[in-house]
Amino acid sequence: MIGQHPADLGGHGGGGPTEHANPTETQMEDFTNTHILVGEFELIEPHTLAQASESLRTHAGEAVIMAGGTDLLVGMKMEHIRTKYVISLGRISALKRVDTNSDLVIGATASIRDVAHNSVVRQQYCALAEACQSFSTMQIMVMGTVGGNLCNASPAADTAPALLALDASVHLTSGVREREIALSEFFTGPGGTVLSDGEVLEHISVPAPSLSTGSAFLKMGRVAADISKVSVAVTVVRSEDRVRQCRIALGAVASTPRRIVAAESELLGEKPTISGISKVSQLVQQAIEPITDVRSTAAYRRHLAGVLVGDAFRQAWLRAGGGEIT
Amino acid sequence: MTARTINLNVNGEHKEWSVAENDLLLTELREREGLTGAKYGCGIGECGACTVLVDGQPSLSCLVLAQSVDGCDVLTIEGLARGGELDPLQIAFLDQAAVQCGFCTPGMVLMGRALLNEIPDPTEKDVREFLKGNLCRCTGYSSIVRAILTHRR
Amino acid sequence: MVPEQQQLHSIGQATWRRDGQAKVTGAEEYVSDITLPRMWHARVLRSPYAHARIVHVDTSYAEALGAVCLTHADIPKIRYNERIVSTPPHLYRDRYVLADKARHVGEAIAAVAAPTEAAAEQALRALRVEYEVLETITDPEVAMWDGTEPIYTNVQLGDQELSIEHNIAVQRTIELGDIEHGFANSAVILEREFATSRIYHAQMETKGVVCRPESDGGITVWPTAQSIHNVRQLLGEIYSLPLHKINVKRVPIGGTFGSSIQMNSVIPICVGLTLKSGKTIKLVTTREEDMYDHVRYPSRIRLKLGATKDGLLTAGHMHALSDIGAHNTQAFAFLSVLSGWWASLYKLPAMKFEGKAVYTNKTPSCAMQGFGNPQATFAVESLMDDLADALGIDPVEFRLRNYVGLGGTFWGQGPSVQSIVLSDGVPELLEKGMEKIGWPGRPVSGSQTGRYRRGIGMARGFHTSGAGAPKPGEVIDYSGAFIKVNEDGTVDVVHALMDHGGGTLDAIAKIVAEELGIPSDRIGISPADTLTTVYDVVTHATRGVYAGGGAAHKAARKVKAILLDYASRVLGIETNALVIEPDETLGQGVIYCPSFPERRITVGALAKLCQTNSWGSIAAVESLRQVNCPPAYVAYFVEVEVDTETGSVRTVRAVIGSDCGTVVNPDLAVGQLEGGLSKGLGYALVEDNSWEQESGRLLSKGFWVDGKTPAMSESPLLEDIDTFFADSYEPSGPFGAKGIGEAATNPCAAAYGNALYNALGIRFTELPITPERIVASMVAAESGATKAVLV
Repeated sequence: MIGQHPADLGGHGGGGPTEHANPTETQMEDFTNTHILVGEFELIEPHTLAQASESLRTHAGEAVIMAGGTDLLVGMKMEHIRTKYVISLGRISALKRVDTNSDLVIGATASIRDVAHNSVVRQQYCALAEACQSFSTMQIMVMGTVGGNLCNASPAADTAPALLALDASVHLTSGVREREIALSEFFTGPGGTVLSDGEVLEHISVPAPSLSTGSAFLKMGRVAADISKVSVAVTVVRSEDRVRQCRIALGAVASTPRRIVAAESELLGEKPTISGISKVSQLVQQAIEPITDVRSTAAYRRHLAGVLVGDAFRQAWLRAGGGEIT
Repeated sequence: MTARTINLNVNGEHKEWSVAENDLLLTELREREGLTGAKYGCGIGECGACTVLVDGQPSLSCLVLAQSVDGCDVLTIEGLARGGELDPLQIAFLDQAAVQCGFCTPGMVLMGRALLNEIPDPTEKDVREFLKGNLCRCTGYSSIVRAILTHRR
Repeated sequence: MVPEQQQLHSIGQATWRRDGQAKVTGAEEYVSDITLPRMWHARVLRSPYAHARIVHVDTSYAEALGAVCLTHADIPKIRYNERIVSTPPHLYRDRYVLADKARHVGEAIAAVAAPTEAAAEQALRALRVEYEVLETITDPEVAMWDGTEPIYTNVQLGDQELSIEHNIAVQRTIELGDIEHGFANSAVILEREFATSRIYHAQMETKGVVCRPESDGGITVWPTAQSIHNVRQLLGEIYSLPLHKINVKRVPIGGTFGSSIQMNSVIPICVGLTLKSGKTIKLVTTREEDMYDHVRYPSRIRLKLGATKDGLLTAGHMHALSDIGAHNTQAFAFLSVLSGWWASLYKLPAMKFEGKAVYTNKTPSCAMQGFGNPQATFAVESLMDDLADALGIDPVEFRLRNYVGLGGTFWGQGPSVQSIVLSDGVPELLEKGMEKIGWPGRPVSGSQTGRYRRGIGMARGFHTSGAGAPKPGEVIDYSGAFIKVNEDGTVDVVHALMDHGGGTLDAIAKIVAEELGIPSDRIGISPADTLTTVYDVVTHATRGVYAGGGAAHKAARKVKAILLDYASRVLGIETNALVIEPDETLGQGVIYCPSFPERRITVGALAKLCQTNSWGSIAAVESLRQVNCPPAYVAYFVEVEVDTETGSVRTVRAVIGSDCGTVVNPDLAVGQLEGGLSKGLGYALVEDNSWEQESGRLLSKGFWVDGKTPAMSESPLLEDIDTFFADSYEPSGPFGAKGIGEAATNPCAAAYGNALYNALGIRFTELPITPERIVASMVAAESGATKAVLV
């Protein structure tokens, strides 16, 4: 077989020398240059959301949104992402809010750390607080945003299962039209969301939980600061000693972070027992579609999902005011 | 691609930089200002060797666009010792032999400083959580944790 | 035991390391921090294919951009081995500066240089390469099959062409005594196969080099390197430059762990670009390039051991297979040391070692902290625990009955480097370790139930201190030092030794201070380069303090004799009656006669007198080959807690004892042990480089996202780590010192394996022991397949 150094036929990169034009540019495969940022682009830093939407519409199909930049710039350095325009939301201060007056409202560029530090979040939205506190590294928590974590739509996004289990919804705006959808409707596949061209995530809202609600988030990686092998969040609403409502969401076990509705209904109206929880775990294990990759195996992910769902359920139940489950 | 002039403060000095969109803060600090204390370790935010403080917050300068620090205060390891006096945390690193090859040290010291600015009396758990994104292959971390904790006292 | 008369003023004192202030303030200059006038930047084009012939490289577009380009056609057709520590007859040469055939993904094919890194990047992408893609061989077993595509047809061994059959780079069989007889007289025989992983050094600084052309036709080179002299000699050989025209500078290095033990592959590329262009050029690799540059030797070890019912070993048989990747950097030495570490762990009346090193289309393996020792010790110490179990003897007692200690023969670097053990802290290490971990209270292996189970395990080991021995072996080993006393009584030490961060040069200063009787802050360590230093082989084999320090000690003795000679002239006292001691008030060394204390002169005054009287400089240069290779013993005792549901392992407690002879830098020595634990637990539980079988690419694609090593959150809490040192004195070392660095990590993985066996009753034979493997083994054990898991 005769091969060539794989070449990019797309002609990206803005030309090169005109006289000795190189017809194709050699692709760097695993050897992109992470010392520098090779790709050339225009940086747009709007001061309002309206300006951001406007820019996005103007450059539809050629622009990407940058929140904290911790994933986008990595993608650009690895050259998975090439773009003509980068629209940074960093200078729109209204988007950085974390508002806990009634429902929890998280602006698109609120940092992971701001959410992790918020005392109301820590008291009432435990799953989210835990997801944010255990998020990657301190530097990434400071730079990274909840909005970016969702819009990136990694199947392993840590805030996603927590927000799914807390029944969050996302508010999207195109400057012309606004819409609110359940987070469970937001993801369409790895890296894919329902955001249409020109549409921006404005904020995330999470309904205030009742007193008898508890939630918990658990995950495992190879090390603490890692992409999760499996992440799990559970919310339980208690009525006396019975389960009134339950939401279970997992990350890194399917093409998107997702709720496992089939398992959520198992204990409705029941007293949680060890065998009941183990049934829930089994239903989760049946519903997920984990894969084998560099971080773990499908078999282990399936096993671990069951274990973590059980652990998270017990923790959430305790936080909901329920007792030890026997 | 258009170069833009930005104004910022680096280690207490006003700077005016003309930078292109794809210029990174790390490269500008190292090559323009000769502040080579911030290191390239991985280029993708996995190792913490490039950490600097932007407006007091720990930031991975390998993942920060230079244009986006317009108007910001940047502190690098070179700016920590003032007037030839080492920061007490730098002294603690020396006292505790928390320095071996030294390549991770600038990032570690700045992270320790950021933590102590926020929590003057951190627990060991606080230290380990705050600095979990800074890799060191020499020390096994114990001496670094000791340096930050002894400085506390 | 320390000689009674040894009273030390510098050795054993905790001091700020000399380069510490530079390092905490960001002032320390590593290779990547160097900027020189008119400096250009280089980038390397690397093969995306694991195995391919390079048909053609078209540099015309890149040259049209103004770049300087370098390809295989531009470099001398000289095959070389990047590591020149083996003596010439044992040196396998199989590589060129730039490849004519890519043998692994990431192999350097061509290079470009341009005024900026961005311009170099653009030029790099304008290179066109045509490849003839060949079958990718990633499995060492497949590599040896008949009919598998040869990765090499022939290489050069010494001066001879050597044809390579079945992709086997080297084979080695070493046999002592009659193993059949030994096994026949055994009450218990156990045999298992162990596999250790192919991990990345993950040193914080990636490889780099700066090269400047000099107007006399020479070059100055600033490389990441563990040996400046070996870099110089190889560059001289490849580019036919006389050595006096090549100056290689010692530059602080951001960690190595063996990764710069050879001349880094980018160094001759950068030199080639400089020689072709006449430009000063800087070439610093990205992390992705670095991850495709070197890994620890993986191993498959089948080990069989026999013992009598009294717990004495009778015989051993080891088969070792190592996948060395695309180049033979030191496979011959690797097989030698595997046999040597094994032979030196326990007394074996009969042993047979059969080792094979096989080429595959993967990143080349090179030494990494412990060079073969973590691999061999994992196998041996795991099986020793099983043997103890089978014999019903306490594992520690079993080891004490069999270990190679005082008076035994230690193989410091395979069978050709042997010496007699003169210092042995093993009994103390084991006794104290047992006490500190609470050994008598450890559970019966596999007796626990419940989700969380704890276990205590131990393993012992060592590393050599240097590769010296009474007779010349297959390894070059000597150091040299030049010491001069300045006219104010301060001292300059000029030594080519590299300090990787462990504080080797601080140790050298303390050794010189101790011998000369001068306070250690009056001893300066000079910047070093190959023009001004005498040869030092390389900082490897835990030889820095013992061998490098030994040479400095020898030179210091000579300087001291000169000092005393002059002092005798001045003071009118016999040389033999004079002593030199540091005077705290004066802050310098004072020479005096204890019987006539008024006859005294400071070293500074004496040195000044020598100058004003034109007596000459007080200086000496010495070279030293140590004729011993003392084992630096280490013992690990580890307690773990396993979550049997998730398979995660927590270190409850780790006790690490070291016998490094006299402790020179006490705080840095603790740092060596703590660092050894961190890398050891990474090797035991976390680290692995996985490869796509089809493409030969790293699954991590060379990014640190998926090349995980332990961070602060994975390391045990301060109160859970206990380090200690044996009261030990090595008679052949400088002031009783021997090595420590590599020893610190060697038994760690085995200790974890043994602790896990104690907790779960399951023997893990494959590293890393991940949660995936633990859960799979638990499931298998619970379904009654225990036997299958245990092999």
